[in-house]
Amino acid sequence: MTEPFEKAGQDAAAFQKMCLDNFSKAIQAAFTFTPGSAPPEILRDIRTGIFRALSESWDEYMRSPQFLNTLKQWTDNAIAFRKVSDEILGRARNDLQAPSRNDIDNVILAVRHMEKRLLDRLDELALQLAARDGQQSAPAGGQPSKSNPPPRAQAGRAKRRTGRKVS
Amino acid sequence: MMTPSDFANAFSQWQRSAIDETTAAMGRMANFYSLWDRARTVQKGVSPSEVVYEEDRLKLLHYLSDEPPRYPTPLVFVYALVNRPYILDLKAGRSVVANFVQAGFDTYLVDWGIPTSADRHLTLDDYINGYITNVLDFLQERTGADQPSVLGYCMGGTMSTMFTALHPGRVKNLILLAAPIDFATGDALLNIWTQPEYFDVDKFVDAFGNCPADFLQTTFQMLRPVGNWIEKPLNFYEHMHEERFLDDFIATETWLRDNIPVPGEVYREFVKYLYQKNLLTQNRMPVGKRIVDLRKILCPLLNITAEKDDLVPPSQSLVLNDLVSSKDRRTLSLKGSGHIGLAIGNRAQKEIWPAASAWLAERSA
Repeated sequence: MTEPFEKAGQDAAAFQKMCLDNFSKAIQAAFTFTPGSAPPEILRDIRTGIFRALSESWDEYMRSPQFLNTLKQWTDNAIAFRKVSDEILGRARNDLQAPSRNDIDNVILAVRHMEKRLLDRLDELALQLAARDGQQSAPAGGQPSKSNPPPRAQAGRAKRRTGRKVS
Repeated sequence: MMTPSDFANAFSQWQRSAIDETTAAMGRMANFYSLWDRARTVQKGVSPSEVVYEEDRLKLLHYLSDEPPRYPTPLVFVYALVNRPYILDLKAGRSVVANFVQAGFDTYLVDWGIPTSADRHLTLDDYINGYITNVLDFLQERTGADQPSVLGYCMGGTMSTMFTALHPGRVKNLILLAAPIDFATGDALLNIWTQPEYFDVDKFVDAFGNCPADFLQTTFQMLRPVGNWIEKPLNFYEHMHEERFLDDFIATETWLRDNIPVPGEVYREFVKYLYQKNLLTQNRMPVGKRIVDLRKILCPLLNITAEKDDLVPPSQSLVLNDLVSSKDRRTLSLKGSGHIGLAIGNRAQKEIWPAASAWLAERSA
């Protein structure tokens, strides 16, 4: 029971420390102008000093475990919300006999798997062909000749250009 | 004690600043009403170009020039999968692309397009061993050059590095622009935020599919909260009456807010293998069935960084020069500039890009 309170206390203390640091650094930075500066320059110097101090404090805070834990909580909550909303919308779509995002994802994934299997098979075939071409065109030493190099597929992936030339 | 002349000086100074401020305020009012219209009509990419190759969502742009190319080796820009590529060709006088076109290079740019849910299963293998390879094959057919020069920007730089390591004979020169390579450096906030104890990338991708554009946008803004949420609006208000500032500001903001989702599996691989395990620097990064070994990079390398880059601090990029086997390695660093300034900043246009063009010209014969 006391653990969450302690944690909340630590977080609050870290945040309070950052605010106090901010304030003291900003005050220090704000009064570093030279007495000879013109009034608008003084104001600009004060402002620049304050912003620099604020940036440094925030940068320090954003590296602290307290901030990182808060970030984690935000992300976890966003993920949980997304899952719940997907589930509700998915169920509603199922009831209406309409495809949900999940259904579409599954179809795309199935196509991807199919594509991967085909490409892997093509890779294997290309390697076999390359090896056979190499054997046929190799001189006595067994190396492929320069005038008839093995296809680029030997580099590890079947060439699979599906794009189109536009002009 | 204040003399009458001191008093007169102070009064005239106050009067002058009051007049300046009133004039500026009137200028702000005048420009305020045109903001929406200006934002709507921002040109996304200014150099004349044509699409020469398409594959799925990818488009390969060829930049047109009045003169024939001076060098036989074409140059291909490989852009990141985050944001849109027109930052490299944002405005006249602030275009990285135009620098190279004017220097006589036959210049191309890979625009990955905007991924949809259907692309959530695309992996780095598809992009690196698939699309980039196909683009280079196409260029070989079109130009006859079997080894183009490649310029990779940010994440596109990481992908170009992986491609060059996997296909060492296919790249003549490699230029990297703020490309993250070492993900274990403590100075980059993103490296800390993505640590496995704080960020479960599997759960995230399983729930969201593609990494949402808004999530990326917020993350990038959070890297500099004071700069992005306080200083920038104030700066905008103060300079809103200056036409040149307003044009630059609107063009840059349009690009900054034009974020796109990243394909889920690519995001998963990037976070898990790079941000969390830092496999690239250890020569253990898997791409498809192959492992990226940076020691296989032999071509000339130009590594360009910006001193004040919060997204990709120089320490994240410069390490590459010690990991490759290239004998011809060089770095260019832009002092006092950030990630975007490297592409569109005034000083980058004057210092970095002419130097990069000269470096490439020497190696493109």
